[in-house]
Amino acid sequence: MNKRRRQLLLAAVLAPVMATASMVPSFAADEVTISHYFTGELGQKGLKEILDGFKAKSGITVKDSPIGHEDFKTGILVRAAGNALPDVFSYWAGARTQFVIDAGDLRPIDGMWDKAGLDNVVAKSVADGATKYDGKRYLVPFGYHYSGLFFNKAVMEKAGITEAPKTWEEFLAACEKLKANGVTPIALGSKNRWPAQFWFDYLILRTAGPDYRAKLMNGTASYADPEVKKAMDLWKSMVDKGYFVENANADSWTDASDKVARGDAAMTLMGTWITGYWNSIGLKPGEDYDFYPFPEVTAGVPNAVVGPVDGLVISANAKNPEGAEQLLEYLVSDPEAQAKWANIQGALSANVNVAKSNYNAVMLKALDTIDAAQTFAFNYDLSTPPPVAEVGLSMFARFMDDPSNVDTILDETQASAASAFAE
Amino acid sequence: MNQSNTFWRVALLALPLSVFALIIIWPLLSSFYYGFTNWNGFSDNYDFVGFENFGKLFSDRLFMSAAINTIIWMAIAVVLPTVLGLSLALLIDSHVPGGPIFKTIFYLPICLSAVVVGQVWVWIYQPDWGLLNTIIEYVTNDRFNYAWLAKPDSALYSVIVAWSWQATGLSMVIYLAGLTAIPGDLLEVCELEGATTWQRIRHVILPLLTPATVVVVALSVINSLKGFDILYIMTGGGPFNSSDTLAMHMYNESFKKYLMGYGSAISVVLFLVALTIIRLYFKQLKKVDEIYG
Repeated sequence: MNKRRRQLLLAAVLAPVMATASMVPSFAADEVTISHYFTGELGQKGLKEILDGFKAKSGITVKDSPIGHEDFKTGILVRAAGNALPDVFSYWAGARTQFVIDAGDLRPIDGMWDKAGLDNVVAKSVADGATKYDGKRYLVPFGYHYSGLFFNKAVMEKAGITEAPKTWEEFLAACEKLKANGVTPIALGSKNRWPAQFWFDYLILRTAGPDYRAKLMNGTASYADPEVKKAMDLWKSMVDKGYFVENANADSWTDASDKVARGDAAMTLMGTWITGYWNSIGLKPGEDYDFYPFPEVTAGVPNAVVGPVDGLVISANAKNPEGAEQLLEYLVSDPEAQAKWANIQGALSANVNVAKSNYNAVMLKALDTIDAAQTFAFNYDLSTPPPVAEVGLSMFARFMDDPSNVDTILDETQASAASAFAE
Repeated sequence: MNQSNTFWRVALLALPLSVFALIIIWPLLSSFYYGFTNWNGFSDNYDFVGFENFGKLFSDRLFMSAAINTIIWMAIAVVLPTVLGLSLALLIDSHVPGGPIFKTIFYLPICLSAVVVGQVWVWIYQPDWGLLNTIIEYVTNDRFNYAWLAKPDSALYSVIVAWSWQATGLSMVIYLAGLTAIPGDLLEVCELEGATTWQRIRHVILPLLTPATVVVVALSVINSLKGFDILYIMTGGGPFNSSDTLAMHMYNESFKKYLMGYGSAISVVLFLVALTIIRLYFKQLKKVDEIYG
């Protein structure tokens, strides 16, 4: 091939590439882009109405691109890699947000927070843990959830359980009663692993306490510690007694919720989003289902509640940071938008101005439970860095498959977690 | 070759070449590059770590089990569709009643996407009301709720069976085409000489089907290397990584643990394995061409 021909070939190869590269997306000052994982039919419709409300107030159009929950986890980071993040995106408060901040992808919002007086809007329990990272504000809470023992009321009453078990002994006695009644006490659908994490979260929080758990989550404590062993042994004794459904790893969280709804099982440890699911299939809150808080295990351990916070963040390279800040402020502080959103998602609002009349009886009880707690802790996969969370989530599924291996499982988990923390 | 002819060749090649360069060559070279870094997949900052990622492969328990699973997958994925496809082709070719209908039925799964096939088999394997356990309960008259996809001992094999179910149709069609190429007079001679059916298959049909077998085996191996989608749908590598293949492990490390550097190192290994197999295939294909023309 002669030189001229080679040049021609190169030019021909490169031309379309260059052409694509020069097609920088256009951008208007009265437009904010947002990506989120609220892809449910109701969620999308509700969010659209809320965003329309924002447009009416501010004149800013919000361009919305939803991605399914699981795909979002990878999708948003691929966009971060390509420096193509939307102005605003939804993200889970906690270790995942910290991870994105460490990569320099988020923009602090302290100025907006102070100017909008959000200290007086966002409940302190949520604001303290979910919005501040390395001393700066980065996130506003759009909604949050609480995880508790949701149960089928008729099944519980039939077994003669009318009072919420307060202590571990009372809880085990209730399970025994249910079993004697021919009902599996606890449904768990750990096919996608995460539903099992709430058991670990509560057992470790109720025995070793929130401070120890925080150490385990940041790598200064070990999965080989006696504290972890004790929590896992409690869990194991429950599986051994047949309190959990068979084949938990074959079910999704909705399968497990269905089992409780049908009365095949009595209860399931799940987040408040289960109320959204149950309401949508026709169950009545407070009549058909209710919940009680995870019982006390070791007396004297500070009372903690567990749940995730759905946050909204602004990317470091946002094209319209002012518009993005206005949007965040609106979404967290407008009581109507917040109330509407909480209702649709079966979520709680972190906005203290949302009237309690917006909630059903079960959600009100959840709010009271959170108010009474000393600590709000994020669930496992939002508390520990993602590489470690992967290790732990697999550990829970493996434990549910064969709890007799618990010692080996913990040793291997510690080895893998230590190397993941070292990354 | 005159100047304008060259111009048109280059111009027409430009689009496919640039697309190929952009979405195949560039990512390929990138993953070689990132395999030597500790990039997390989205940060602007990363360091070169030399061969650390490749060294880590040997101490990674999950990598080892994923490698073994990949070998198991390939071995079964070659044997099952090949043997089943050949048997079905021989049956249909022997003019059983309804042959053409069965041919269509067996070929149909090919038309489905792996996602659909995966979902259908998830229902078949469902422990409480799935087709498989319902049949077993009916036959044994006893309660049976084994969770095929949720048990580490059976998850991988259950997925391979589903995958083979889809792949068998393709093998069958290739074998059927091969069978039509076998000269009828040769088979007539067999009959006249009094050869049994088995002798006819073993000594005449099978050797003459060698070109078809090479294609079937090669396609099965290559398809099994990219057998990611059905696994992703059916188990996602679970329960607890017990059905991970190399491709799934690479995905988990890169996109769930955000260890893009390490994930790239795994993909380099996977690439080298695929390259070796494809080279072997082309060599074999050449040999077959030389013998059978």
